[in-house]
Amino acid sequence: MIQTYLIHLFILIGIYIILTLSLNLTIGYSGLLNLGHVALFGIGAYTSTLLVMNGLPFLLSFLTAGILAAISGALLYGLTRKLKGDYLALATLGFSFVIYSIMLNWIDLTRGPLGIPGIPKPLIFGLTIQSTGVYLFFTFIITLISIGILTLITRSTFGRLLQAARDDEIGLRVLGKNTYALRYKSMAIAGFFAGIAGSIYAHYISYIDPSSFSLTNLIFLLTAVIVGGLASVRGSIIAPFILILIPEALRFIDMPSSILGPLRQIIYCLILLVILLYRPRGICGRIDLQ
Amino acid sequence: MSFPIAQLLANSLIIGSIYALVAVGFSLIYSTNRFVHLAHGATVVAAGYALYSTFTLLHLPFILACILTIALSSVIGFLMFKAIYEPLQKRKSSTVIMLIASIGLLTLIENLILLFFGADVKTIGLLEVRQGINIAGAIITPLQIVLVLTSLTLLTVFYLFMKKTTLGRNLRAVADHKELASIMGLNPTRLMAISFIIGSALAGIAGILIALEQNLDPSMGTDLMIKGFSGAIVGGIYSVPGSILGSYLVGTAENVGTWFLPSGYKNAITFTLLFLFLLLRPKGIFGVDKGVRE
Repeated sequence: MIQTYLIHLFILIGIYIILTLSLNLTIGYSGLLNLGHVALFGIGAYTSTLLVMNGLPFLLSFLTAGILAAISGALLYGLTRKLKGDYLALATLGFSFVIYSIMLNWIDLTRGPLGIPGIPKPLIFGLTIQSTGVYLFFTFIITLISIGILTLITRSTFGRLLQAARDDEIGLRVLGKNTYALRYKSMAIAGFFAGIAGSIYAHYISYIDPSSFSLTNLIFLLTAVIVGGLASVRGSIIAPFILILIPEALRFIDMPSSILGPLRQIIYCLILLVILLYRPRGICGRIDLQ
Repeated sequence: MSFPIAQLLANSLIIGSIYALVAVGFSLIYSTNRFVHLAHGATVVAAGYALYSTFTLLHLPFILACILTIALSSVIGFLMFKAIYEPLQKRKSSTVIMLIASIGLLTLIENLILLFFGADVKTIGLLEVRQGINIAGAIITPLQIVLVLTSLTLLTVFYLFMKKTTLGRNLRAVADHKELASIMGLNPTRLMAISFIIGSALAGIAGILIALEQNLDPSMGTDLMIKGFSGAIVGGIYSVPGSILGSYLVGTAENVGTWFLPSGYKNAITFTLLFLFLLLRPKGIFGVDKGVRE
């Protein structure tokens, strides 16, 4: 019993590490306050679900989910690239709400607020991942690969250029670098990882509805990035552990779920505010939010 | 059914009047403080629930309940400023940090309301629902007429207050140029706090009106916030008449839009409008550029 519970927590932690790290690529490394990440996560989840349920093999759907979310991410940047600071944040927040509205209202495709139940477990090379233990292993592998790729990206020339563009955009343009192209790529990469995280999430929970991709989840992701620290891979790996495990302590106090839900959110908000007030760089952040 | 233009215009006027109250408060706070106070929407909902507690649960006289509600909204706004925003400003946090903090506050207050009042909708029940009156082909209830008139009166008073009184002029001075205002002997921090108090009082009035017109539920703050800041930005965030006009535009866009699309797309329509303005005319309709904004 306790074992299944722990496995469940660790699968979620894996998914959120991918999400936090990819969001950090845009907020921390690229300096774009992208509040549309949760929508990209949702696009991934719905794409993968709908494709698999219409007969496509899992791995193909999984990759398509990533690619479609990547395209959406690049598109979002294309639309908002002229905006800065709080206007950029509002516009990307708007993107999240628009995608959320579409999930909620395009009933023919998404079944709206009813959600899509009975999402099959992944079938990879003729083997179905039935037990949660194996699913944890699968998530673990994908998370490790994602961490590996994102770490390499942040340490590569491309990653350094991204950070240079964040710190001194005009300076980098003077050197002949196309800062827009750099950020397009960064948003697309972040979108890809958000998309595959969505796919892993959907096939694990086996039921998705729009509420999983709402403002609530966005607050969690933002808190995770800021608690971990901007432009820090290590921080983005540690933060999901802390943030998912802390409210779990509440579960052992006997409480109805109508209280548990809001209480969990309140804890996240308080953590977010306290960190912003007293330790704005988070656990291992290296830069301040501009 | 033919396109019911009179009814759509009436509905736009009604909902626009509520949005306008949210938008001018938001615009006042934004222009004096220069950051996006998204938790303004939460103040509106908190006011709705305050009216529900004082009037429906405690059976206080309606006027007293309204006064308490407005006072409470101001206190909430003031506390948010003192406890969170002012310390952040002192540390010279960027506008982006302030925005994230305000999203945190918005969710915090919404969930506190959820915790205390539960997720089910609440109704105030001041007046029984009455038959609407037919005005030029549009059905409008007496309550809605009172609502529009109250809102228009308050907006005019607020406009005159900002234009004619010393306090209004001082607030505009800080909005124009904070350093210059402080050289001239004004106290910007005090005026910023005052802008929170006045802005939140307006949010409180909006909360009362919306609680009378619709059912209350804890998550409506985010929705109202979207409409409020979209109205303000579309109209011109530094301008009171602009914010009012923008709010009516947002109200009209969503009412006309939902005639063609399912009503669930209301927020999406508002955001599309906002998006167009952010890209094509970020200053808004009545836009004046007031200094460099990061």
